[in-house]
Amino acid sequence: MTKILLAAALLVADFQNVAKQAGLTAVFPNGGTVSKQFIIETTGSGIAFIDYDNDGLIDLFVLSGKGSTNRMYHNEGHGRFSDVTAKLGLESSGWAQGVCAGDYDNDGYTDLFVTYWGGNHLYRNVGGKRFEDFTEQAHLKQDRVRYNTGCAFIDIDNDGKLDLFVSNYLKFDPATTPQPGANPYCFYRGIAVNCGPRGLPFDHNILYKNNGNGTFSDISEESGIAAPFGHYSLSVLTGDFNEDGLPDIYVACDQTPSLLYINQGHGKFEEEAVLRGVAFDQNGKAMSGMGLAEADYVGEGHASIFRTNFSDEFETLYHNRGDGNFDDVTLDAGLGQNTRYVGWGTGFFDFDNDGWLDLLLVNGHVFPEVEKLHIDIHYKDRAILYQNLRNGRFRDVSKDVGPALAELHSARGAAFGDIDNDGTLEVAINNQNEAPSLFKQSHPAAGHWLILKLEGTRANRSAIGARVKVVTGQHVQSAEVRSGGSYLSQNDLRLHFGLGSATKADRIDISWPGGGKQVIENQLADRIVSIKQAF
Amino acid sequence: MLAISHLAVALLVAQAGLTEEGISAFNEGRYSVALAKLTEAAKIPGDKQAHLFLALTQAAIGNCAAALPALTALTDRLAGLAAVKCYSSMGSEAKAFAVLDEMSARWPSDADVLYLKAKLHMKAFNDTTLAMFQRTPASYRVHELSAEIFEVQSHYDEAIAEYRKAIEMNPQAPDLHFRLGRAILLAGHNPESLAKAATAFQEELKLNPEDGACEFQLGQIAQVQGEKSAARNHFELALKLAPRFVQALIALGKIETQDKNYEKAIGLLNKAVDLQPSNETTHYELLTAYRDAGQMEKAKAEKAILDKLQKPPEGEFTDFLKKLGEKPPAQ
Repeated sequence: MTKILLAAALLVADFQNVAKQAGLTAVFPNGGTVSKQFIIETTGSGIAFIDYDNDGLIDLFVLSGKGSTNRMYHNEGHGRFSDVTAKLGLESSGWAQGVCAGDYDNDGYTDLFVTYWGGNHLYRNVGGKRFEDFTEQAHLKQDRVRYNTGCAFIDIDNDGKLDLFVSNYLKFDPATTPQPGANPYCFYRGIAVNCGPRGLPFDHNILYKNNGNGTFSDISEESGIAAPFGHYSLSVLTGDFNEDGLPDIYVACDQTPSLLYINQGHGKFEEEAVLRGVAFDQNGKAMSGMGLAEADYVGEGHASIFRTNFSDEFETLYHNRGDGNFDDVTLDAGLGQNTRYVGWGTGFFDFDNDGWLDLLLVNGHVFPEVEKLHIDIHYKDRAILYQNLRNGRFRDVSKDVGPALAELHSARGAAFGDIDNDGTLEVAINNQNEAPSLFKQSHPAAGHWLILKLEGTRANRSAIGARVKVVTGQHVQSAEVRSGGSYLSQNDLRLHFGLGSATKADRIDISWPGGGKQVIENQLADRIVSIKQAF
Repeated sequence: MLAISHLAVALLVAQAGLTEEGISAFNEGRYSVALAKLTEAAKIPGDKQAHLFLALTQAAIGNCAAALPALTALTDRLAGLAAVKCYSSMGSEAKAFAVLDEMSARWPSDADVLYLKAKLHMKAFNDTTLAMFQRTPASYRVHELSAEIFEVQSHYDEAIAEYRKAIEMNPQAPDLHFRLGRAILLAGHNPESLAKAATAFQEELKLNPEDGACEFQLGQIAQVQGEKSAARNHFELALKLAPRFVQALIALGKIETQDKNYEKAIGLLNKAVDLQPSNETTHYELLTAYRDAGQMEKAKAEKAILDKLQKPPEGEFTDFLKKLGEKPPAQ
């Protein structure tokens, strides 16, 4: 008994994988499980938390590789989900990669965009009752097969209409792509594996402008988004990194320098990742960037960036100085000691509601063949949770947070949200060729909390790009409503703040996209607060 | 007189025909025909082509004794390559390397010359390794060499085991602890590996207190462990021991930038650039130092250098695919 009590006391949290109990049992195929012939089998797929029917409970949308359909699971409450894919008209086929959400037509219902190797799909949410494939009507049908990966709705000019960014990995054609082992870029540590990305042709990223009439126009060329060449683009992270009131775009790139498109206004972007310090690792080497997360992890009010990378590489934490210039602080932050993992989905979230953002990343190698090597790098691996030590440093607490993180999966997308509105966040994870995981703590976190649901009026209705500061005593937290992110995934659009022992937020500052400010004072804790843009 | 002249021309034409037929047969691998034709053609003095291809044919059929006098007398590239092969097949490695050295000086970027050189060095390595395993099986050097081979093959666990055996047999041998530490770092991906590697580097320092490379490795470990002050001390010591140690200059320069000692950082990094002008990391760190010091024009100049050094290898790889006979993917 004493031993049990001692063990319980040492646990920082108790995360359980409750996917099965929640009804999330369908398997999502994604290429080979023992070997993979082509790179397309390695990159998918994302996962999304969205409240598509505005019933106040976030639903779950899981993407599939070839061989099954993407699935929408309706949140029935009490921790249960039901598959409503067919009912909503979301049945699909093909290699789905990424997902992002946003109310692009400002009708009050969150729409979905799904990227594919092949052609993308825009699903217009029709009154929360069904989704209609509006790709062609919206002029988003692509004229050739493209390897689209990350996506994000973003209001580039703060006109209240959500534009759309889509990253492209490379040009892939199974008919012309060499077979495993065919050339030196098709080997990993001496074993033949699928070829790429090195050796496969580059492609360009895409920016679509929302015309406000249900259609989009491709402005990749004139905006400067298509200008950078020689990058294998994956995840997208939007945010006003230089704090000039215009949203910028960061893209994690595989084996090539990552990209930071700085918004110049008037629909123009300049790529400035190298000079701003977010293209490489701290040795000036390009990493295999996969997933992305943003956070003001030190309570300074600035958006820093975390990027997951490949095995034998450090993950990367870029600390934002507040002017859009960054320092690689990975090692100083204590994030340099886990290098065996290939990291994918990731997010800062306050799992213990102490008011400081912690960091989770999910892992899994790209090559199932790695098991032949009998080394400490594996196709299926555990997740990692870093606890924020409140001094700019993190501590790996993975082994002290319950059994869910120790489960071995080849994980890809990860989404963060509160499925039962109890103020403690859950994490949904898309595992290759398995059912998804749903990490939930066995008991709600001890600290107080607030969830803010923002609605734009002059700004876009999803409030994407709105930045919120929550002040409790001397402590300031900030967060932004964001479309896309993590690894090709979508977090709950509502913002969650842990408040620790504070029973109220002294002040909430909202900066709406386009310039409007709103202040709420003495907001009581432990509740979901809906805030509509006041002017 | 005219008749004699006609005869000479006819003979010359016949000889030229024989030479051409011989070369053609050689190129087609019909060495017996080539040998017959070229032997006949070479009887008439002055036909350099006939002599060259006769010697090449003799070398090709393994008659190096007959071929070598002509091959070594000729200054032709093909003759040189054949001479190297002949010497090598006869076990005269020293002579083979001597010819290769001459050829390397004359044709420094010739793929065939470089290939032969690599092959001969590999053969020498294999022969020596075999001799070592046969003649001194109980030596710690056998384990050291085995470890190094495993390391090259990325079999780090096996390399670690072999280094440990070597250390057990000769704990005082220099470099073994250092190599062990490095292999541990390459094999492991967890905090425990860092501590074990640090122990190995400290052991090496006991044997060789002035080993700057060990100090550098300890500095890197301290950095990963978040011990910046300890890292700084190790890098400073490494530089004291080896002032031209580029990686240590970069590492210390980086710390100075982080600590906002920009002038010091820029000094260290410029020294690193002088020593290794093509080192990408140095230019990146210099870019960062200039940027943080507010010297944006200099930062941009460093970026321009970095861009040149980091050009995507797409073209190079496409060329490589072509050489492999593969169709490069359309851009």
